[in-house]
Amino acid sequence: MAGVAFLLGLAVTAAFALTSFVLYDHNEKHLLRLRARQVGSVLTATVPSIQSTLASAAELADATGGNAQKFRVFMAPYAGRGHQFASASLWPLHAAKPAPTVVVGTRPVLASLPKQAHSLFTRAEHSRLLNITGILGSAHPSLGFEFSTPGVKHRFAVYVENPLPKNRRSALAGNSAFSDLNYALYLGRSHSPKNLLVTSLHRFPIKGRHASNVVPFGDSAFTLVVTPNGPLGGTFFASLPWIVVIVGVLLSLAAAAMTDRLARRRQYAEQLTGVLDRVAAENHQLYTEQRGIAQTLQHALLPDALPDVGGLQVSAQYVPAASGVDVGGDWYDVVAVDDRRVLLVIGDVSGHGLQAATTMALLRHATLAYAAEQCHPATVLTKLSHFVNSSEHEYFATVLCALIDVDSHRLTIASAGHMAPLLIEGDDNRYLRLDANVPIGVERKSDYRETAFSVGPHSTLVAFTDGLVERRGEILDTGLARLREATGTRRLPLDEMVAMLIREVASEGHEDDTAIVVVQWQT
Amino acid sequence: MADLGEDQVAEIVVDTGVDPAGVPIVSVSGELDSSNAASLEATVAPLAAEHPERLIFDLSALRFMDSAGIAVLVGVAAKVDSVKLREPSEAVRRVIQLTGLSGVLPVESSS
Repeated sequence: MAGVAFLLGLAVTAAFALTSFVLYDHNEKHLLRLRARQVGSVLTATVPSIQSTLASAAELADATGGNAQKFRVFMAPYAGRGHQFASASLWPLHAAKPAPTVVVGTRPVLASLPKQAHSLFTRAEHSRLLNITGILGSAHPSLGFEFSTPGVKHRFAVYVENPLPKNRRSALAGNSAFSDLNYALYLGRSHSPKNLLVTSLHRFPIKGRHASNVVPFGDSAFTLVVTPNGPLGGTFFASLPWIVVIVGVLLSLAAAAMTDRLARRRQYAEQLTGVLDRVAAENHQLYTEQRGIAQTLQHALLPDALPDVGGLQVSAQYVPAASGVDVGGDWYDVVAVDDRRVLLVIGDVSGHGLQAATTMALLRHATLAYAAEQCHPATVLTKLSHFVNSSEHEYFATVLCALIDVDSHRLTIASAGHMAPLLIEGDDNRYLRLDANVPIGVERKSDYRETAFSVGPHSTLVAFTDGLVERRGEILDTGLARLREATGTRRLPLDEMVAMLIREVASEGHEDDTAIVVVQWQT
Repeated sequence: MADLGEDQVAEIVVDTGVDPAGVPIVSVSGELDSSNAASLEATVAPLAAEHPERLIFDLSALRFMDSAGIAVLVGVAAKVDSVKLREPSEAVRRVIQLTGLSGVLPVESSS
């Protein structure tokens, strides 16, 4: 990832650098062309100054018949050591052998070159321009300019000459307007080395960026080649591509480092997620284990077997709450008091956990002890209430206690705040009307009253805890009606009936634990 | 005793105040069950210790109460001389009635 970010950064950098370089290059070329044109203009501007001096001197010679003294006086400011021209001379035209009559400054090289002199002056007779010689001589090459006013009465030509600088090299002054350029000046329209007049360059041929410009000069022309000393548009623009490259590479490195860091963070987050998943899985396992332990404990606290009493069928079921690790507080017991009587107890200790389970176990065993004394339900509850005192614990228990006489079809029931059982008697099913006494543990001294019922043959009694009928968002009567309806329609074997009630009446989520005990007379 | 499990806690709002006669009032709204009964217990216990004579539970906005909730009310009733319930909903009223606690947790006579 980091590598990709780096390469991407480099690609973008390269694109920017290339763009800025192309722009820079284009700009430099344009500037160089402009500079070459400017230098050309300066060169062109020197033509009239040379021509006018020469024209004036030629007029003077014609007017004075070639007076040497007057020519010398006139040319003195122009020619000689330290002046514009090294040599100035006056030449009569139409001579069979051209030769200077007056010389100011050094002797012209042209004087010793009759062929060139002849050619120049023949050319000059028909020319209205400043005539330029070729490069004269080889030891000390010079360049000469001639001017004569064409016409019948004109008989003299003025000729000036300058030696080319040593090695034809001349640097421009540092303060010159063109100090940012190197140049090469050639005679004629081509830049062949033999025509080189003067240059500031040391190496030929010229390489790199250069511009050439042909400047008309008199009857000939100069070819000017310029090349920049440095960036014409300023050093900043020249450095721009490099600045872009350096900044870009740095940014790419930073991006790569950042990407690397982000990737590491992500990796770390993924690792963390993995750890958290594992912890969650372990927690779940722990929860399942604890829940298993709680359920094992709960079942251990419930009776192993129900009594087998002739003429009475019994079925019971305990369903723990769907979630939670605590031991619930519901319990039930069905014990044979003697051959023909059975005591049914079902209860619900408020709260959960070990303390509720301990209380539940205590109540259960106490109930069994009282049952062994053949106590009546109301007495059992009264005795139980002495056991638990809510001022000492923050919970209480609802208990239903029913003494069932199989043969006489009698039922004696007392309730300590517990929901009344449902009696199914033939086609009729109803909740028994009981005194709603306070739960065990609420008041230390409670009077529990019992109610006796005579039940018809094959009657069924359904005792349950609130988990079966209690649902959030509805009042208890709705749940009670649901139970009544479920038992009213079908006649099922007892075990199937219990399973059906848990399945169809209890809330789907089994929010609370539920106990249900059903007894049925066989006769 | 209704149990929502570890991750579910029923919503309950407990508010305490004093009525013009100076009787402390505990307003309980939402659903009171074993998942949050302890928080009500924590709020009410010091109040009951401070005012051992009278206490009113305003249950007008309590939609559901299971035996764990009743246990808290019963615990308070054991310590305070007079505990009254104000405007319990039908659902709450039935739970108290069926549990035989109408005498222990009487409903305030409408004023």
